[in-house]
Amino acid sequence: MQTETPVQEHAAEAAAEAFNAGAVIIEHVANSPIDHPLIHLPTIAGIDFSVTKHVFMLWVVAALVFVVVTTSVRRYLRQDPFVPSGFMNALEAIVVFLRDNVVRPSVGDRWTPTWMPLVLTLFVFILTANAIGLIPIFEVLGLLNHWVFHAGEESFLARLLHGGSTATSNFNVTAALALITFFAIIVAGSKAHGVVQHWKNLVPPGVSPFLAVALIPIEILGMLVRPFALTMRLAANMTGGHIAILAILSFVFIFAEMAGAFVGLGVGVAFAVPLAVGITALEIIIVLVQAYVFTLLTAVFIGMAIHAHH
Amino acid sequence: MFGSRKDRRAAPPRGLWSPRSLKALQANIIKSGPAAMVSYTLIGAIVLLGGIGYAIDEWRGTSPWFLLGGLLLGLIVGFYELAKALWRS
Repeated sequence: MQTETPVQEHAAEAAAEAFNAGAVIIEHVANSPIDHPLIHLPTIAGIDFSVTKHVFMLWVVAALVFVVVTTSVRRYLRQDPFVPSGFMNALEAIVVFLRDNVVRPSVGDRWTPTWMPLVLTLFVFILTANAIGLIPIFEVLGLLNHWVFHAGEESFLARLLHGGSTATSNFNVTAALALITFFAIIVAGSKAHGVVQHWKNLVPPGVSPFLAVALIPIEILGMLVRPFALTMRLAANMTGGHIAILAILSFVFIFAEMAGAFVGLGVGVAFAVPLAVGITALEIIIVLVQAYVFTLLTAVFIGMAIHAHH
Repeated sequence: MFGSRKDRRAAPPRGLWSPRSLKALQANIIKSGPAAMVSYTLIGAIVLLGGIGYAIDEWRGTSPWFLLGGLLLGLIVGFYELAKALWRS
């Protein structure tokens, strides 16, 4: 028996299509769902290896950094006068800045050549992963798909449009990067002092044995807290910026629903779009600063392991 | 009225991008490393250990004791790291 009138049906349809700011924001920030992955891969030992959007973005970033940096450096090494120009000039400025201002003051002259490659790789990778999230590649692809391609819902292109494109806004990615830092700290201390002495260095010298017993668990907890702080800071900053931009832009649709399309447009022109542009400008700085802070802290932690008790 | 092009080129650069301000910026960045590390560790310790305490409370139904213990331990670890950085400097 039909119980709904046409008016009720229309209202139900409208409610179903109503703008849901929270869902839209999460869709643009979170990873794509694992049950609709980009590339299906088998489950091994209970772990689903299927490739989601963030993993795909990690591959894109890694490939981009590898190709761009390798080609520029090879071209630079082939030229006769060793004078960098264009992109190589910017790359050299970054390398020299990190070496002279981040790595050398933290780890010292002797260990700079050892730890410079790791810190530099982390910086370039995180910077590129952060920055690629600010470029609306998939939004443009979505528009093209809507107007030109008309790819089916199950096509690779349609699946590519779901989920956020900033891999560093995923806590798993930043946790993996922080894990590299965590092991680098242990390796740095062990290389500089030997394995046993590195662990002995956890307790400050000259401390009585009773105090040392109390200090060991505190030091071990401190050792675990450092990568956790790195993980949370980077992922939270990357997610927060995107949420702020999307929340401000969603005012346009919320006001359009509440008071009509013209009010929505007015809010957009007068308030939402200028503010979103301002926050995007701020995001560009945050992208740089977060990559820089991650590498600075990595260098400081490695330096602390090397120069224990100085 | 205006100096020749040569004169203007010879004048040392002033403002934000002068060598002196860049050097001051570099010095501040170098000094900020341990301070940044300590501030993040202080907050990270409280959030991580408080979070672990909260999770144990939820799991075992012992609210609020593990949360309080975790927060206290987080404070101890965070302030210990802060004190260490201060002793170092």
